[in-house]
Amino acid sequence: MNPLDRRQFVRNLGVSATTLPFLVGLPSLGLAKTAPRRQRLVVMFSPNGTIPKNFWPDATGNEFELKEIMKPLAPFRDRMLVLNGVNNKLKGDGDRHMRGMSCLLTGIELFPGNIQGGSDTPAGWAKGISIDQEIKNFFQSREATRTRFGSLEFGVGVSDRADPWTRMSYAGPNQPVAPTDDPYQMYQKLYGQLRDRDSLLSVLDTVRDDLKRVSKKISAEDKRLLEEHAGFVRQMELEFGRSDGKALVSDPPKFEAGVTNQNDNVPRLSRMQIDLMVNSFVNDFARVSTLQYTKSVGQARMNWLDIKDGHHGLSHESDKNEEAVDKLTRINKWFAGELAYLAKRLAETPEPGGNGSLLDNTTIVWTNELGKGNSHTLSNIPFVLIGNGMGFQMGRSLDIKGVAHNRLLMALAHGVGHNIDAFGNKSLSQGGSLELS
Amino acid sequence: MKVGLNQNGRPDVKINVRLAITKLDQALGLLLAFSVVASAAWAKPALSGEAIYANRCAKCHGDTGQGVADEYDEPLVGDWPVEKLVRVITRTMPEDDPKKCVGDEAQQVARYIFDAFYSPEAQARNNPPRIELARLTNRQYLHSVADLIGGFIGRSEVGQAGGLKASYHNSRNHSRNKQTFERTDATVDFQYGTGTPAPDNKEFKAEEFSMRWSGSVLAEETGEHSFIVSSENGVRLWVNDMNLKLIEGWVSSGELRELTGTVRLIGGRAYPLRLDFFKYKSQGASVKLEWHPPHGARQVVPARNLSPTGTRSVFVLRQPFPPDDSSAGYERGSAVSKRWDEAATLGAIEVANLVADRLAPLAGTAPEDAQHEAKVRAFCNRFVERAFRRPLTPEQQQFFIDSRFADGKPLTNSVKEVVLLALKSPRFLYPDLGQADSHAVAARLALGLWDSLPDDELLRAAEAGRLGTPSQARQQAMRMLRDPRSRAKLRAAFHHWLGLDHAGEIAKDTERFPGYDKPLEADLRTSLNLFLDEVIWQTAGADFRKLLNAAHLPLNERLAGFYGAQRVEPLGEFAPAFFDHDRAGLLTHPYLLSLYSYHNSTSPIHRGVFVTRHVLGRSLKPPPEAVEFSDEAFAANLTMREKVTQLTRADACMTCHGIINPLGFTLEQFDGVGRLRKSEKGRPINTVSDYLTADGDTVRLASAGDLARHAAASPSAQKGFIEMLFNQVAKQPLRAYGSGVLNRLCNEFAASGFNVKFLLAEIAVVNALHGIDTAPPSERN
Repeated sequence: MNPLDRRQFVRNLGVSATTLPFLVGLPSLGLAKTAPRRQRLVVMFSPNGTIPKNFWPDATGNEFELKEIMKPLAPFRDRMLVLNGVNNKLKGDGDRHMRGMSCLLTGIELFPGNIQGGSDTPAGWAKGISIDQEIKNFFQSREATRTRFGSLEFGVGVSDRADPWTRMSYAGPNQPVAPTDDPYQMYQKLYGQLRDRDSLLSVLDTVRDDLKRVSKKISAEDKRLLEEHAGFVRQMELEFGRSDGKALVSDPPKFEAGVTNQNDNVPRLSRMQIDLMVNSFVNDFARVSTLQYTKSVGQARMNWLDIKDGHHGLSHESDKNEEAVDKLTRINKWFAGELAYLAKRLAETPEPGGNGSLLDNTTIVWTNELGKGNSHTLSNIPFVLIGNGMGFQMGRSLDIKGVAHNRLLMALAHGVGHNIDAFGNKSLSQGGSLELS
Repeated sequence: MKVGLNQNGRPDVKINVRLAITKLDQALGLLLAFSVVASAAWAKPALSGEAIYANRCAKCHGDTGQGVADEYDEPLVGDWPVEKLVRVITRTMPEDDPKKCVGDEAQQVARYIFDAFYSPEAQARNNPPRIELARLTNRQYLHSVADLIGGFIGRSEVGQAGGLKASYHNSRNHSRNKQTFERTDATVDFQYGTGTPAPDNKEFKAEEFSMRWSGSVLAEETGEHSFIVSSENGVRLWVNDMNLKLIEGWVSSGELRELTGTVRLIGGRAYPLRLDFFKYKSQGASVKLEWHPPHGARQVVPARNLSPTGTRSVFVLRQPFPPDDSSAGYERGSAVSKRWDEAATLGAIEVANLVADRLAPLAGTAPEDAQHEAKVRAFCNRFVERAFRRPLTPEQQQFFIDSRFADGKPLTNSVKEVVLLALKSPRFLYPDLGQADSHAVAARLALGLWDSLPDDELLRAAEAGRLGTPSQARQQAMRMLRDPRSRAKLRAAFHHWLGLDHAGEIAKDTERFPGYDKPLEADLRTSLNLFLDEVIWQTAGADFRKLLNAAHLPLNERLAGFYGAQRVEPLGEFAPAFFDHDRAGLLTHPYLLSLYSYHNSTSPIHRGVFVTRHVLGRSLKPPPEAVEFSDEAFAANLTMREKVTQLTRADACMTCHGIINPLGFTLEQFDGVGRLRKSEKGRPINTVSDYLTADGDTVRLASAGDLARHAAASPSAQKGFIEMLFNQVAKQPLRAYGSGVLNRLCNEFAASGFNVKFLLAEIAVVNALHGIDTAPPSERN
């Protein structure tokens, strides 16, 4: 039952609008086994380019070996598609970090604007929708694939700024979608209503007791009002108590309290967000998700890797600076480790109401705004796909030799049955959806 | 009803019929069903209704109709007319021989029952109104939770109005190391074109500059406020919640755009506001800060609502509540419903989530603090004490706080439960549970003057026993009057009095009244508010009579032009304006004249009813039958006065319209939007009529001025005003406070020179001390 239908259903039952917030929080039950399989897309972003020699496999085809950065992904080698030779070919306003970020999923130029980067002309927001939102809209427009939220945008250490460096998701031209980088806020969004109900149920009994105590002290005439009041409290207790038990396919993850949103907590925040994402898939809250680590030009200081420098600062260092190359390799390897954790969680979680695991029905795309940090190139952008959500032929490393990334974005849409002819810039879409199956 | 009793075949008794009568009908059914034969003719009536009742009815119904156990235990009360009682008695009474009480005797006894205890009037007389247990009204709930949270983060202050603090920077990032300057800007509405904000300052270049406006914004009404920032440059706006951008428009492509953010605000309070702006390289630059407040029109946020002084944020509850019962003429918490209980629950959840979210700053602690849990518990204690308006006993502390904490339970869960328990407790929701102590006095003063919780000063006074005597309570009341919340409360009371609180948009026929549009109407409402503020808060004496007969009104340029008035110095946006004809304060304020008119003409009936009920304090019964005024039904050449006279000429109408019409006719020289008019249908306006006062005197009223003079001196008008204000403060019927209170307040009001502030304080004191006995023995009478 989709959210709109559920609202209608509730109205027909005659439940008043004020109880609605409690009810709409309840997820739909698992789909019947006969339904077509759920397909999901996750886009994971990490910034500042990669170290190509420690990232790209030497060989193409089925026989390839993972280099240092991708070593954490070894358990998923057979479910991986490494795509070298995909270029972000968008020109125009904005420096390469801006275009790298805001054109990454939109495949379209930026508006001219007032935000000045380190070079080039100042720019504004992207001129079009991003592929994750395009696919979300496609899913939400159909009864069979509609979910409570459609998409969930997670962030880790993004910062509070809103500019072309911090946004890769767009609902449309000039409409950036902000990621949520506070897991507690995301938890509240996903499970707040259920948690509220639990808190409430735990006190209603005491509330009635309190009403009884107070009633003893007031006149018989006035007692009637309090008795009436107590009746409503009892009624609420019964109504909310009844919906217990059939709540969630999976309980919300257990969180430690008080993990503040700051640099040194990034590893913990990352795992909390990933746990929330996996849980939201099990409960079918959304089938599209993004996971954005910091931002384009992100300056995470990975003290947990014993690296004291900011990430972006390091990425400008020359290839000859071996210490910097080593640190950047470890930084990118850490991101690969987080990706591996996500893939592992998806792989070990059974698909509710279906066969196999969540990873069997999910495609994760790991990407970056630059090919390489110190050259600021938008060519050979890291694109690594993991999981079997889209019927692509996995277990391969390809070099596509300079294809426009618009065609890869189209392939993601085609992968979920949304057969668009172009995405973003039309001329860069020429050649159509990239053939990956 | 039992089926067997219905065999007579008559239609079943309607569900809403009073029980007493139902029983009579059942009896009738029973008697007919068993074909009981009537006895012989009844002797000639010789007894009064009272005697008949005592002899033949009281045995089963009790000597005052209260009922008799094992006979007929339902009291004889209801709202049927006497004729109906006659019919029922004739048919069914007495039960053992219904033919025994018919004809004139039935008439006599029915009239006696009706007058002595059955009718609503008799019920009111026999059971005088009492002070009933009442829950918080919606307004009280909203203000209470705002101040409950505010008690921990500091209260919002209303600063001196006059614009926002502005800082100008000749760089795009507000940096202070460049040449910059500060000033106060009355409003934010600037077109820089391709220039700079400081054309004479060579340090400023058109390529890049930035500004920050900060201070506070004062809301006039409670509800959703839209803020609109128009600019082709980078802008960000914060209102009230300074951690959340209401408008995020930092990135821009140089095209002028309107960015809107909506925030709920409580009227009469100030909120922090900050607007950041920067220009970089775009062609032009401009910035405009507008708002669209409830009951208003979109306009540049005026200087009178802006202050360069910052203030604290206010917690504004979002949860809507079903409307309060206002059947008694004022909103009161006399009833509960499922919807209300749900709203109060969701309201409590909203507060609980906020507290859990902001626990560290509210409780003045941090998770790493060694005393964290102890501080959180101490916070919970203070929170519940504030909510309950009194200290907790050790037992209550265990019940409401300690029992919610346990080893291993997350602290935020405990806190949320404490908040839920406190706000769902009758001790919070029903502010007056009958404790007649000084904390009750503090609670009533705070509700009476602020619709809110006691502040620290009141709590301290209650704790120290400094609230027991009238002079101590009065001292607090006078202090509280200086708080903006008293102004807000009084304005809410006035809006209710004038019928504005539920007034929607006053649509007017644009062909008939060209120029009367939404912005003009919003200006009229502002003018009315400013007029009330001026008479009460800015003029010595706060004279009630000035409300009714002041010759000038605060008008802006647009209103002065439309209404043909002359504005005098000092010329602010709104300035005192005088007319070339008689005006009489509220009575002729164009907003009220427009409100009490049809969309294309005047309405002497609406205006007359308003004056009768709200200004002159007289009661009117609802019309016996609804008659719709239809302009087309009259001959084309009739004036409005002639139409109304013709429509209401029946005797049944004239019992009330004999009062209503003359009062309405005195205002006929003002058209449907409150402009002066000299003629109608080519004939001069006739405003002269004779008005019969409540005391039976006939007064000739020839103009609005006559009406104002009469009203200002009328004891009935003064009493009506006092009772209105009393109801707003106490949320209880005035008569429940004893028979002498109204007369005493009347005398004191007159002795004060009809000072409204004095009256408000006095009412608050009377209400606060009613039934309280906390004075030290030496001061007791």
